[in-house]
Formats: sequence, structure tokens, C-alpha cells
Amino acid sequence: MSDIELPAAAKDASSMKLQPIRLLWQAMLPIALLVLLLGFAVVDHGVLSPGNLLNIAQQTSYLALFAMAQTVVILTRGFDLALGPTVSMVSVGTALAMAGTAATGHDTATVLLAGLGAGFGLGIACGLFNGIVIALLGVSPFVATLGSYNIAIGVATTLSAGRPVQGVPNLFSRIFYGGSVFGVPAAIAITVLVGIVLQLTLARTVFGRSLYIIGTNPRAAGVAGLPVKRILVATYILSSVLSALGAIMMTARTGSGEPNLGGSLSLQAIAGAVVGGTSLAGGRGGVGTAVLGALFVTILSNGMNLTRIDGYVQMVVLGAIVITGVLLDRIRLERS
Amino acid sequence: MSTTLAAPRPHEPISPGRSIATRIGFLPILLVALVAGMSAIDPQFYGLINLLNILRNASFLAIVACGQALVIIAGGFDLSVGAVVALASVVTAKAMAITAGAFPGNTALIIASGVAAGLGCGLAVGLVNGFCVAKLKVSGFVVTLGTMSATAGVGLMITSGIPVYGMPEAFVKGFGRAQLLGLPTAVYVTLAVVLAMMFVQRRTLFGRYVYAIGGNVDAAMVSGVSIQRHIVGTYVVSSVLAALTGILLTAQVGSGQASFGGDRMMLQSIAAAVIGGVSLRGGVGRVEIVTISALFLTILGNALNLLHIDSRLQPVFLGVIMVAAVALDEASRRRKHRV
Repeated sequence: MSDIELPAAAKDASSMKLQPIRLLWQAMLPIALLVLLLGFAVVDHGVLSPGNLLNIAQQTSYLALFAMAQTVVILTRGFDLALGPTVSMVSVGTALAMAGTAATGHDTATVLLAGLGAGFGLGIACGLFNGIVIALLGVSPFVATLGSYNIAIGVATTLSAGRPVQGVPNLFSRIFYGGSVFGVPAAIAITVLVGIVLQLTLARTVFGRSLYIIGTNPRAAGVAGLPVKRILVATYILSSVLSALGAIMMTARTGSGEPNLGGSLSLQAIAGAVVGGTSLAGGRGGVGTAVLGALFVTILSNGMNLTRIDGYVQMVVLGAIVITGVLLDRIRLERS
Repeated sequence: MSTTLAAPRPHEPISPGRSIATRIGFLPILLVALVAGMSAIDPQFYGLINLLNILRNASFLAIVACGQALVIIAGGFDLSVGAVVALASVVTAKAMAITAGAFPGNTALIIASGVAAGLGCGLAVGLVNGFCVAKLKVSGFVVTLGTMSATAGVGLMITSGIPVYGMPEAFVKGFGRAQLLGLPTAVYVTLAVVLAMMFVQRRTLFGRYVYAIGGNVDAAMVSGVSIQRHIVGTYVVSSVLAALTGILLTAQVGSGQASFGGDRMMLQSIAAAVIGGVSLRGGVGRVEIVTISALFLTILGNALNLLHIDSRLQPVFLGVIMVAAVALDEASRRRKHRV
């Protein structure tokens, strides 16, 4: 798909010589973010109000989680089209499990545990399915996750009969949405914590490093003795567990299990990851690119909402931004 | 996904006859089994109304899937086809309404302007896709993801989500809902498109070069094939065919709607291509098998409806069949390699 390109290792080696230019290019996205924020602030002063900044941070934390989920599989030259439906399915499953156990008179702790167990269980099941089909059966990530996309949509809408699932205990929402750690809202705290752990995993563990090797050169990874198939299965499970966590947090926010919660999240998460500089050719990206990309997409849509830009125009702008982001990334690679 | 990964794999097999037999092998059998089983279970299935319904729906999917197949054979993806169907529908209806206001009664001119505007949309989106992929070297997935969002946005912008009316009777009743020798007009259009695409794939340089590019870009380039022009060509064909489907849908329903096509059509077209034996690695695939696959998917959906299987559960079947089809294909490829 991505045409003739130098192997990533060669790119890294040659780019070491041109540090200043490379640094400038790397600072480009944060600079663009600031310009964007200030530009919107000129039109509407409300953009920079503490309330709205907190709002942006909170919205970003959900998308950042999904972008991270997408990034770990993109690192291995894959992607997860089923992310959105997985989110819907986990949301419905979590809500149903909690409503069910609450109705049969269990205490609150059991109800919460049942919800989390169902949510993460469904996430693991999704990841396991994707991983096995991709790594062991050799089906391309696109088809495999397109298959699980359809399956997850079917399961989510069938379980919920297409309606929101009520009966989520208040405590659940109070912990995962209303709660705060040292004054930081729960969603932001959880995402920051997960981000740090994931970054350490990617940078410091054998598992994390092997994702980059597989993405850069799968055949070399196999020849070097890495258990590529097992690592791929683990990666898809990790990705789906991250999505499940995001889904649980969003369910706490809405206070009900929503069969349409995932909506267009698959593509938004890919857009976030890619705009942040994660390479679809594999082997390049990390927590930083996912968070930056998510921040960019969120600020863009938040700013356009506050400056009352038509929702349909926003779709056009988002499309153009995604293409431009990847184009700039490619130019950056060629320069360095 | 990238050419560095592509193993030296024979994309034009040494014994094409046997290879095609193994490729299409299971699909016609499944199709016949499905039709025979359904006919035995439910007499409603082979009722004339149901058969016409199946043929009409399969036509729309088949046209889009043929274009999609061509792009995938060249090694790309077109996620924007669903959005192009919607945009073409809206623009066709709008152009006809405007021309009808300016030149009332001039039916030929009204229809021509509408069809030209609709196909023009497809051409424009296809050129943008092709330009970004071939000249700017952005991956096809990202480009068409972007144009999908942008195209859907433009379609909604034009209509604000409200259906567009005001098309001449001759277009709706005389063409879209008309029947020729007992078959809907859309079926004839589809047959013409499929035959033309078969000819293009087998007999034209463009068709052969598309296989060459999808099979091995470097080899094609060294052999002097102009890669960029042919890749732009595949995206243009795909978008124009999607636009044609949008126009046919508009003629049948009688209004231009931004809700036509969409993600569902895009995913189904890829599913039809993949189940029809088009390899996502590029270089392999035939439009006639893709057409059979589109027919199969349409009949499957129809059968599930007739069997009163919850419509919410139906995507599960599509997903499982798709994964199974590709997994079987991969398994047979590996077995061949071992021998």
C-alpha cells in the first residue's frame, strides 16, 4: 500500500546527522496545536477559559486512550477497524452485567466487579479473536478486524436490542467519571497513568521493543528468533483491553450501556494516531504521538464547535487534516 | 501492506486454469447451495417480487464492488466509495432540480445535466484520491479515509440532510423504476459495466498493467509501466462507478439522499471483493467472480431476512463468512507453497 520506501532503520540512521531540522519537524505539531488554540481564542475568548481547557483535557483523555490502542497495533503494521464496535459491545456488556447482578440483589462491590469483569472479558475476547485470525490464520488485519467489526456490531445490538441499557449503579459513574485523584478528574488521571505505563512498556520491555522490530522488518524479527505470532496475539489483546478501558470510562460518563457508543471511533482513533505521526508502515510512533494526535483532533473539533462552524464543514476539515498530516509526515521523512 | 513485505510470489500463476478453479471453487457451490436450500425452505424466496428485489440490490453492490476490486488489485483501498454514492445522489438530484428551474420542460437536457454532474463528482473525488496516492505518495488507506469524511461532509452540506426532490418523471418512472423484458433497468446497467470491466481486465493494456502493478510495483516500474497514471486510473474508475450507483439509486428512489451508500456500502464492497477472491496483497482478482460474490452476499442477506433472523444479528454472519473465506484462501495458498 505505502509505496517504495526506505527501510525504517536506514531512515533513522541518516536522520541522525540532521538533528536541528529533525527537531524543528518534530516540534511542528505542538507548534501547530498552539497556533490552532490561539487562533480559535481570537475568534472566541471562551476557548481559553479554564472550564473549556479542562473540558478539552477530559475529551482528549478518551480519544487518547483509543489512539494508544490503535497505535500499538499500527506499530506492528496492523490496525484495528473493530475498535468502535468493540467499544459499543463492551459498553453494553458492562451495563448488562451490572444491571443483572444488581437486580438479583448482590452488594455493590460484586456489581462493580461483575461489570468490570464483563467489560474487560469482552475486550480480551475481541483481542484474542483478532490476534488469532491475524497471526495464526494469516488473514490481513484489514479483513480480520472488518470481520470482528461486523461481529461486534451484531453482538452489541442484539444483546441490547438496539436500546440503551439502563441500571448502571450510580457508584460506577461516580468512580469512573465523577471521581478525582488529587483534584484531577478520573478520566484524565486514568489516561495519564495508563499512558505512563504503556510508554514504559513500549520503551523498556522486551515485549515493547519487539513491536518496533516486527513493524520495521517482520522477517528479520522472525529470523532473529522472536515469537512473532505470540507477540502479535498479545498486541491485539493489549489493544482491545485499552479500548475496553476507554469504553468503561465512556459508559460511566453516559450512565448507560450504549450500542452506538463506538460509532465512528475506529476511524477517529486511526486519524488521531496518524496525525500524531504514527507511521502506518509500522515501527514508528508511541504514546506521545497518540496523545498529540488525540489532542490535535479534540482541539480542532472543540474550537470549531465554539466558533460555530457547521458540523458538516467540520467533517470536510477533518478529512483534509488527516491527509495533510500524513503528507507532512512523509515529507519530513524524505527531508531527514 | 508495503512492498518490502511482499514475498516473491507468482501473481500470474503458471497454470491459470487450475488456480482460477481453486479460487472460484467454493463460491458458486455456496451460492447454489444457498439458493437450493432457501427454495426448499421458503417458497416466498423464488417468488418473482423477491427475485427482482435481490437482482436490483445485487446490481448496486456489484457495480461498486467492481470498482473497489480494481483498486485493490492495484494494491490500494478505496474507503470513499460509500460517501461518493451519497454525494453523487445528492448532486444529481440538485442539478436536475436547478436545470428544471432554468429550462422547464427540456427533459433531455435536465437528465443529461444531472447525470453529468453526478458522474463529475465521482471523477473529481477519484482524481483527488489518485493524485494523493500516486503523486504525493500518501497511503491509499489514509487518503480515502480523508476523502470519505470530506465527501460525506460536502453531501450533507448541500442537503442539510434533507432529501432532494424535483427530478423529471422520465428519469424516475421511465428509467429508475422501469423494467425491460421483465428485469429492472439497473440489472442491464450492471451487466454492461461488468462486461466492460471484464474486457478491460483481459484485453486492455490498462487492465494488464493494473495486475502488474499490484503484483510487483518494482518489476512493473522496471518494465516501463507508468505507475502513477494507472493508479490514478484505478481510483477514477472506482469513484465513477460509485457515482453511477448513486445515480441509479436516486433514479429508483426518486430523491437524492445523503444517507445512501455510507459506511455500509463501503464495507460490503470490500467484503464482496475479498470473498470474490481479490487478494488484499494486490495482483489477483476477477470482476466476474466479484459480481457473483456480490450476488451471494445479497442473497445471504435476503435469506436471513426471510428466515426471520434478527436483523441485528445479521452482521455477525457477514463477519464470520468474510474471515472464513480469507482464512481458507490463505490456508490453500500455504499448502500450495509447501508442495
